[in-house]
Amino acid sequence: MFKPMLKALLLTGTVLLTSLSSPMVMGKGVFQSGPDFVAEVFEQQGNAKVLWLTNDIRQQTKVILGRPVTGLRIRYHQHGNKTAWILDEIGKEMPITIGVVVEANKIAQVKILAYRESRGGEVRYSAYTRQYLGAALNDRYKLDQSIDGITGATLSVWAVNKVAALALYYHSLTEQTQADQ
Amino acid sequence: MDVKKTIIFNLRWHRRIGLSVFFMVIFLSVTGFVLNHSPGLKLSKVDLSSNWLLSWYGLEQEPAEGFNVDENWVYLAADQQLYFNQNIVAGCSAPLHSVAATEQMILALCSDSIVMLSHSGQLIESFSQLQGLPANIDRVAVDGNNIFLTGSQGTNQFDPDSLNITAIDQVRAESISAQPLPDKRFSEIADTGTASISLETVILDLHSGRFFGNAGVLFVDIIGLLMCILSITGLWAWVNHQRLRKQ
Repeated sequence: MFKPMLKALLLTGTVLLTSLSSPMVMGKGVFQSGPDFVAEVFEQQGNAKVLWLTNDIRQQTKVILGRPVTGLRIRYHQHGNKTAWILDEIGKEMPITIGVVVEANKIAQVKILAYRESRGGEVRYSAYTRQYLGAALNDRYKLDQSIDGITGATLSVWAVNKVAALALYYHSLTEQTQADQ
Repeated sequence: MDVKKTIIFNLRWHRRIGLSVFFMVIFLSVTGFVLNHSPGLKLSKVDLSSNWLLSWYGLEQEPAEGFNVDENWVYLAADQQLYFNQNIVAGCSAPLHSVAATEQMILALCSDSIVMLSHSGQLIESFSQLQGLPANIDRVAVDGNNIFLTGSQGTNQFDPDSLNITAIDQVRAESISAQPLPDKRFSEIADTGTASISLETVILDLHSGRFFGNAGVLFVDIIGLLMCILSITGLWAWVNHQRLRKQ
């Protein structure tokens, strides 16, 4: 019982120390553009592709996000069995733009590209996002790894969790499509 | 005798000044008291939006405008949401620069993104500056099914399927002109949360005289000055009265 609490406390402390040691870095802002993120992920430019959101997919995304997804299609980049997704999810009031890289149905990278809330921006630190590495979807379409939260950034943490699960789900659909072909 | 004359003179002016500032002193005391307790009274959360007040503050609103696409209206509400008739379709940062339509889709150009809608008003996709949309684009126009984005840095052709943007020479293309929203339901949505003034601001401006411009500020200054004179004449009257009693 105390171990998860201790881990959460240590994580919060690490994130706080990181933020204190870099006072010039603002809590909100655009940290990386989408094209730059994609260029960083794929040594050679990944192929831009489109995933059309059918009714079945929309129903499943509603379960994952807890709200209906907007838009008829989602854009992603792919190279081999690696896909990169840039997705928005609202933390408290404003959308957080999150880049997620999935490889072989496991998360290879999570990066906050833009954070617009006034509080909770600590989720962008690698001390936090590292926790998602290797996470996969379980049968209930949730992450199979526990992610320690950050004090004062609960809603942002939930938003990143949802987006990570959503990217894994979308990736699984692309793998299905490839298998069907 | 001199003292008596002085007292009479002093009291006459004390009375005159007192009577002339009577209503203003009451008014300034009440407004000052209310402002002092503004957080508790939550005055800053009381929004006033009557037309004459907005007009007085120079905040008269332009009639809400939208873009007519095949008798459907695309417009931006003050809460930064893009509407298709009465339905929210996407987030859209103000201003909504322009709207154009091809056979396949409607394109709405917001300040930092372009929103692609089906003709039935469903969001297809948003393409933002973060995703690679060039900055400083302020017009979307179409020629057949070709889409052009024009801004201070020239004209680009936009492919909505690949999201590729290619710089080209100036072309002739059409966009839809903004028009006043014809339906009251739409204009009410578009006006949601628009200009209003807090009660705290109005009371503060009344208290300081700013509500009536520079003349009001000068008037309150004069009232303040008269109140200083009133207290001096009051003190002077009391001192003289004491001297008279001793004599």
